[in-house]
Amino acid sequence: MNPYWAGFGLGLVLLAAFVVMGRGLGASGAFGSVTATVLGKVAPAHAAHNAFFARYLGDGSASPLKDWLVFEVLGVFVGGLISGALANRLHVTVEKGPRISAAGRLVLAFVGGALMMIGANFALGCTSGQALTGGALLNVGSWAFMMCVFGGAYAFAWFMRREWL
Amino acid sequence: MMAPFYKFGLFGEPASLIVAFVTGIGFGFFLERAGFGNARILAAQFYFRNLRVLKVMFTAIVTAMVGLYFLSRIGFVDLSLVYLVPTFLVPQVVGGIILGVGFVIGGYCPGTSCVAAATGRVDGMVYLLGMFAGLFGFAEAYPHLEGFAHSTAMGQITLPRLFDIPYGLVVFAVVVMALGAFVAAEWAETKFGDGSAAGGDSLLGGPWKLTPVRRFALVLGVLGLVAAVAGNPYRGSRVTMDTRELAIEAGRGADQVSSDQLADWIVQGTADFRLVDLRGEPKFAQYHIPSAQNVPLASLSPDFAARNEKIILYSGDGVQAAQAWFILKASGFSSVYLLRGGMEEWRRSILFPSEPKGATPAESIEFARRCAVSKFFGGTPQAGAGTRAPEQPKLAAPVLPTAPPPQPSAAPKPKPKREGC
Repeated sequence: MNPYWAGFGLGLVLLAAFVVMGRGLGASGAFGSVTATVLGKVAPAHAAHNAFFARYLGDGSASPLKDWLVFEVLGVFVGGLISGALANRLHVTVEKGPRISAAGRLVLAFVGGALMMIGANFALGCTSGQALTGGALLNVGSWAFMMCVFGGAYAFAWFMRREWL
Repeated sequence: MMAPFYKFGLFGEPASLIVAFVTGIGFGFFLERAGFGNARILAAQFYFRNLRVLKVMFTAIVTAMVGLYFLSRIGFVDLSLVYLVPTFLVPQVVGGIILGVGFVIGGYCPGTSCVAAATGRVDGMVYLLGMFAGLFGFAEAYPHLEGFAHSTAMGQITLPRLFDIPYGLVVFAVVVMALGAFVAAEWAETKFGDGSAAGGDSLLGGPWKLTPVRRFALVLGVLGLVAAVAGNPYRGSRVTMDTRELAIEAGRGADQVSSDQLADWIVQGTADFRLVDLRGEPKFAQYHIPSAQNVPLASLSPDFAARNEKIILYSGDGVQAAQAWFILKASGFSSVYLLRGGMEEWRRSILFPSEPKGATPAESIEFARRCAVSKFFGGTPQAGAGTRAPEQPKLAAPVLPTAPPPQPSAAPKPKPKREGC
């Protein structure tokens, strides 16, 4: 799809979320809810003792999975699947440049995911919740965040050229 | 009709989860359409090969921003009710840099990795696992990081407020910046691109005629220009109202709360409303109903509370409260109530209840209950006499009870809300 029309569609979804819910889109927060739930089941004492997870678990009266972001991210999986199926883009494959092994790429994907989540938790949001949503709301922190995401990625891109080029 | 719909109670939490799911489908659909289920396309952004990320992101931001500005400007959306993530400047700068590095290493961001995993990309699935690991690590280290993560707090603040520039002017500036960035991106793609961005409708390429994308850019530019001079999108103090609707509502009397009801709520710790005392400061300092907030009528502005909050108003005899009710209803507050009879009725029935002469057993039991309530609020029941003491009974002090009396049931604590990403 033409990037401008994809962006326009994305913008309308975001606008609809503002109008209907009074909040924007998100992604990273849902992972906090899921991790907190799993840990709450596996090691309840440990989870309750940790200030980070305790925030998600609350007083235990409601499951952290009954959360707006969790359902929204479930929708993202489904929406991605629908679009991919319609465009015949469902393939089990590893996306990488020609100069790196699949195993190497997977290790880097893991490391990148971990770093991403650490950054998102410092910033109170990721590219969806901060850059996209906060960008449209002219949020001060979101704009500072967005500039730093691009800055950090461009500054580090040279070191990762073997992965992509 | 008032938006955001959820914040004005058009539907409840269970329905909001369905909305979340549907919204997510739209979000995931367009992320996949944009090509963001593929890490190579995302990473190409950082080598100037294909600048789709920038184009999609800024088109989305500008579309939503301009749309929200105009929907707020015409009064359809109450912009102050759209949740804004608070700013913690330094942690967000540091987090942004870490996230950017993670982006170019991993090739995805959280949202796009979900789409990648859903369309079969193994690297997307492994990336998801990495996110859980990172999250777990962050949580374990949280006690040491918390201080830093909460530093340089600036509260919920927008660029227009920070720099004291009209909101519409910032909207215009962002539109101009985005359009400029698109042109620059297309130019860069012709210089450094891998050819994957070539072809298709664009701003620079192809014959010089008004293609749909150029028309779209032109519309955004014009709307931005209009926004620059169209004024403040937040609700101001000038209002238009449906007087007939207000008259019907006032006539029904459903907008009133009795002293007994209010006393019950306070005793039980029901805290889902904001209690507002409209009398002057000296009287407020003398005595006020516990949990009340003092907003003298002259200083009442439509910004003192969110428009979807439940508000209960009272004044001495109720006249000023009624005037405030009208102002707030006209300003678009959805649930405003009056304390029937005002402070005078509160004194009579709650603080200083008196037992009727020759009370029946039922009335005596009722009086005993009233005595307990009265003591809770720091009043003194007028027992036996049946006739009121000639002078006003003395009040000890403005009393805020510290320990509530035994409650029939524990008040449900509202679940703390997290709205961020």
